[in-house]
Amino acid sequence: MQQSAVDAVIRGLKRAGVSIVCYLPDSLFKELYPALDADPDIRTIRVTNEGEGAAICGGVFLSGKRAALVMENSGLRASVEPLARMGLGAGIPVVMLMSYRGDMGENNWWAVPHGVTMEPVLQALRIPYVVEREEARIEQAIVDAYELAYASYYHTAVALSGSIVR
Amino acid sequence: MKRFDCMTKLAAMLSDELVILSLGASVDEWYNAAPHMRAASLFQQQLGCVTPQAFGLAAGLPHRRIVSLDTDGGMMFNLGILATLGNEQPKNLFVVVWDNECYQSIGGPPTHTAFGRVDIAAIARGAGVPHAYTARTLEEFEDHCRKGLAAAEPYIVVAKVAGAVQPDIRRKHSDGREDKYIFVRHVEASEGITIMGPSEHN
Repeated sequence: MQQSAVDAVIRGLKRAGVSIVCYLPDSLFKELYPALDADPDIRTIRVTNEGEGAAICGGVFLSGKRAALVMENSGLRASVEPLARMGLGAGIPVVMLMSYRGDMGENNWWAVPHGVTMEPVLQALRIPYVVEREEARIEQAIVDAYELAYASYYHTAVALSGSIVR
Repeated sequence: MKRFDCMTKLAAMLSDELVILSLGASVDEWYNAAPHMRAASLFQQQLGCVTPQAFGLAAGLPHRRIVSLDTDGGMMFNLGILATLGNEQPKNLFVVVWDNECYQSIGGPPTHTAFGRVDIAAIARGAGVPHAYTARTLEEFEDHCRKGLAAAEPYIVVAKVAGAVQPDIRRKHSDGREDKYIFVRHVEASEGITIMGPSEHN
């Protein structure tokens, strides 16, 4: 990621009122994680799998603070169980920011399943999402994801792809 | 040791705390053992999510004591949270693991802790939570609750309890969604904050 894209993500998170970020690092967002760690207004929590991160974000919601789950899109599959339980069973929202592995241009065989499954999994869970490929749209997309999550009390997701992450 | 008796002892020590608890028969037991904590308790149905949610709540409200009432099945489902607690060292999180060595709510098939080899407290210590203990008597459990509720670092007590459920107790009627609203409104009122506020337009 370019520094300008990292800055746009952090601006979006701050405009949305996020103060806690749970993450499991990946390669496409490699530059984002240390920037989040270094930001004095954001507490980062490293998790052992993305499902655990989703549950921690759900707990943060209950505290009145705002959290984000940042991950590669493969983490969506690891999060399906807690997302289904919290979202459909209790109305506890989690906002996700994920890197889009397996999109057009992908050159790793192991990332192909991530691209094949991401949108169908989001659709199966009825999670509203956007895929952004232009840096100029990042900040507002993140703000909008929080607006909807806090109106619906349901999850939303922003996937970043294209030149943003390559 | 009966879980309901342990709950009664723990409930007597609680007033301002917030509680997240696991699925199964422990829900109705806690509903009856701690009637003064009903609005302050989030009754969840999520294997592997209870302690992570409690930790998230603890991270968001660092001045408030949070209690996680987890289970052996729930903890075994997501052992990674123990390593996260080991690294993050929350000062305000007390975790109880009701270890009845079985999946009680589906009739009692054994969990991994039933065979005398798997020790959740030892796993927790190995994950960086040194204050992790196993309680086998009511007196031991009560002592750990007293210490855990006052600790300035994460504290875990694994309560070895019988597989029996307290008979003839009142069932909780609300679902997960209603429980969430009750809990959130309690947090809002007790913290003086807004979590679920009004829409832009009515």
